[in-house]
Amino acid sequence: MNSPVEEDIVDITPGLQQAADTTPTSHGTFQLYEHPGRTSSASANWDAVIFSGMQGDDDIPGIGQYDDFHTIDWQRDIARDRMRHRYIVKKRQDSLWDLIKGAHDAWSGWVCVLLVGVCTGVVAGVIDIGASWMTDLKFGICPQAFWFNREQCCWSSNETTFDHGNCSQWLTWPQVFGESRDGAGAYVISYLFYIAWALVFAALSASLVRMFAPYACGSGIPEIKTILSGFIIRGYLGKWTLIIKVVGLILSVSSGLSLGKEGPMVHIASCLGNILSYLFPKYGRNEAKKREILSAAAAAGVSVAFGAPIGGVLFSLEEVSYYFPLKTLWRSFFCALIAAFILRSINPFGNEHSVLFFVEYNKPWIFFELIPFVALGIIGGCIATIFIKANIFWCRYRKHSKLGQYPVTEVLIVTLVTALISYPNPYTRMNTSQLIYLLFNQCGISNSDPLCDYDRNFTDVNSAIEKAAARPGVYGAIGLLCLALVLKLAMTVFTFGIKVPCGLFIPSLALGAIAGRIVGIGVEQLAYHYPKIWIFSGECSTGDDCITPGLYAMVGAAAVLGGVTRMTVSLVVIMFELTGGVRYIVPLMAAAMASKWVGDALGRQGIYDAHIALNGYPFLDSKDEFQHTSLAADVMQPKRNETLAVITQDSMTVDDVETLLKETEHNGYPVVVSKESQYLVGFVLRRDLNLAIANARRTLAGLTGQSPVVFGGTAPPAGAASLPLSRILDMAPITVTDQTPMETVVDMFRKLGLRQTLVTHNGWCKD
Amino acid sequence: MLLKYIVLCLTTICIVSVSGQSYEDKRCKCVCPSPAAVFNSSATTDHRRHYIANVPPNKCNCEGVILPRDGAEIKGREQEFCPRCECKYENRNTTIIKVVVIIVIWVIMLLVVYMGFLICLDPLINKRAKASYQEHTNEDDESTLSGPSQQMGLRGNVLNRVTHQQDKWKKQVREQRRNIYDRHTMLN
Repeated sequence: MNSPVEEDIVDITPGLQQAADTTPTSHGTFQLYEHPGRTSSASANWDAVIFSGMQGDDDIPGIGQYDDFHTIDWQRDIARDRMRHRYIVKKRQDSLWDLIKGAHDAWSGWVCVLLVGVCTGVVAGVIDIGASWMTDLKFGICPQAFWFNREQCCWSSNETTFDHGNCSQWLTWPQVFGESRDGAGAYVISYLFYIAWALVFAALSASLVRMFAPYACGSGIPEIKTILSGFIIRGYLGKWTLIIKVVGLILSVSSGLSLGKEGPMVHIASCLGNILSYLFPKYGRNEAKKREILSAAAAAGVSVAFGAPIGGVLFSLEEVSYYFPLKTLWRSFFCALIAAFILRSINPFGNEHSVLFFVEYNKPWIFFELIPFVALGIIGGCIATIFIKANIFWCRYRKHSKLGQYPVTEVLIVTLVTALISYPNPYTRMNTSQLIYLLFNQCGISNSDPLCDYDRNFTDVNSAIEKAAARPGVYGAIGLLCLALVLKLAMTVFTFGIKVPCGLFIPSLALGAIAGRIVGIGVEQLAYHYPKIWIFSGECSTGDDCITPGLYAMVGAAAVLGGVTRMTVSLVVIMFELTGGVRYIVPLMAAAMASKWVGDALGRQGIYDAHIALNGYPFLDSKDEFQHTSLAADVMQPKRNETLAVITQDSMTVDDVETLLKETEHNGYPVVVSKESQYLVGFVLRRDLNLAIANARRTLAGLTGQSPVVFGGTAPPAGAASLPLSRILDMAPITVTDQTPMETVVDMFRKLGLRQTLVTHNGWCKD
Repeated sequence: MLLKYIVLCLTTICIVSVSGQSYEDKRCKCVCPSPAAVFNSSATTDHRRHYIANVPPNKCNCEGVILPRDGAEIKGREQEFCPRCECKYENRNTTIIKVVVIIVIWVIMLLVVYMGFLICLDPLINKRAKASYQEHTNEDDESTLSGPSQQMGLRGNVLNRVTHQQDKWKKQVREQRRNIYDRHTMLN
């Protein structure tokens, strides 16, 4: 292409261009790829021939797989699967056995997601039960049955008890050591035990992660996003990562760190999806097909994390998946359904739901309340932006400074500080899920927290719970909650990114719930003291409880989570599945939208995209717009006047090819007709070339360095000493011309999931 | 012999203590304000009452749980008292909880022991074995895994294969550790 001749052909007539188009670029297989729906018998024969050739690939181990930290070639993998599928369809008529095999192939996708759903549900149940038991271990023990947490221990005390007369079976640590339940000494002992257990759990988690599976740390969603977009990270979804992530997650949640289990749940489900897909060669050996299973698994992960199957499917669609055909949507739906069903049957929290903070609401809201809801959205967006900025700053500092060299020490220090400042404040001391439950809940009879210390009038029977003046308990609780908000925000900034499994859904939900509850109590008291002003339009004057602070907490939680992750649709669906009330969709939507706008205005990226950018993963975001106005010729490698490493169709020897492989580091090489006329024949991957040559050296007798390498698929020349490589040659590479605008090229990469494209000029290969 | 008796005793104690408990899987829980707070509003004592009873789900309400017990106290004023109570029917599965917690403890213990083994003993053993151990070069591919390991299965024994797998795994973990802890290219 760099020959002066090529420069001469630049201004050519259409007629000449057409002549150039009829060069070997268009080949038989090209049309084959183009018409996947053909079913005529002639083409089926042709496919079978091709596929038997493809099956021969099994001779060369590793073809169709990728190296670590490489991107996959969606087009090639999908084409491979289509070939395989057509082969099976054709064989189905041959015998009964082939028919069974074909049927098995057809339903294997559904079986695979079924297994993934079942396993995800079971693992989520194990995590929920284990974490709730271990969390309560920080406070005390149930000596008669050590496997019960506090709630379960006091399950069936068949007596009438009062608020503070706790059940006798559960012993707090001071009681275990013979102290009384209350008093200064008991407080000190409890405090010490709390810190000690937190440190033990965190140290175990951090060292297990460091020892067995470093990939198990963090939330995993940025990496899952990258993997689903077609990147290979070996071992990221492996067995050890799964085991350590599960165990480490139980430990780190129990240690009282400001983190949640929801993000890692997506990673765990994806690990299960990856491992189980190896049972079905259709998925296990085809990276592009495997990502369909992984998408479904991610949906199942969110489904069990929040007990929200539809929310999980939408999360997979909106947030993590890259390639999401309709077939995957249905499989995700099925997978999420199965997972939620299994978790629900395990019933880990004893509340008939799969999350601890399930609430049920049936209160109307009035139109005026949209204003505080939108205000909550704005507050949530601001909190989220502060969080993202601070967290990214801290993570960058960790990445580039000495701090990153002490991962375990860092975990221990963060745990120590968290435990020290969490214990005195009852709202940070308790499990974050319980805090969210408390904040979401309505103040009823069963709620004995100071947060519900209202001046209720019990004598009037006709109204269930009427609005009431707040008593000092509520104001005290608000003070503590403000403190908790600041502390939790700070702790979460330092926690997200340490080297233990940690997610941030729960902390951000908690932050938002705290802010929302405070605003909600404010509005409620406003309505109590001035029930007649026009904004309440008379609806609050009847004495009914017209403002529900718990609803504000919910909206606030949605706002912060929406601001942090920039989800909208899936977030609203998750929240309304959590509350079981369809009537709050509008408030949630308003808050999520406001929060997203504020977040987008203040900082462009959500936390996951920011982490992807921080780590430099090759992720081509489909939401970004491409602004440059360059041409393909400007950005292609090599540049205009460098030479291009090419392989010729049939005139190179094995030695030549190996020298080329040694001297250059490209991922693949275009195959051209000859050095002089560089008409494109196809494209061959470096990895495939390496494997094929190594394999041929092992198996093919009489192969020397001087043997010619033949890519032409037609006539293998006589004599055994040539190396035919037509089978690893991709004869239908995606090509663009050098005048293609860059927007189009980026669009092609995004929509087709390309790995590389060849730039041609009149059929001459340039890159 | 003595050890056997101790183990036997311990297990029987465990079984007895477990089976002796009356851990039911179903309950009905009601929470009510104290009758005093309901009937004369001036005395706002904060003592709620929790009632737990083992009744069928359709009896899980004020009439079924509270009146049989404290009926005398609120006689004739049920209409006022009962709407203040919240009753919830709950169930759980104690066996699943027990099994899961014990499995979790076991897995954590196993992992800790294995970690201790890898930290303390393994370097000593490896030092001796290093001399006789031959490095396999063509193992970085997952798909070639089946080939060599089968051949090895013919030649060597199971132990060899396990060691081989373990070394491969260790190499992977070392690589992961390098990516995360040293080079900081991932998961920050």
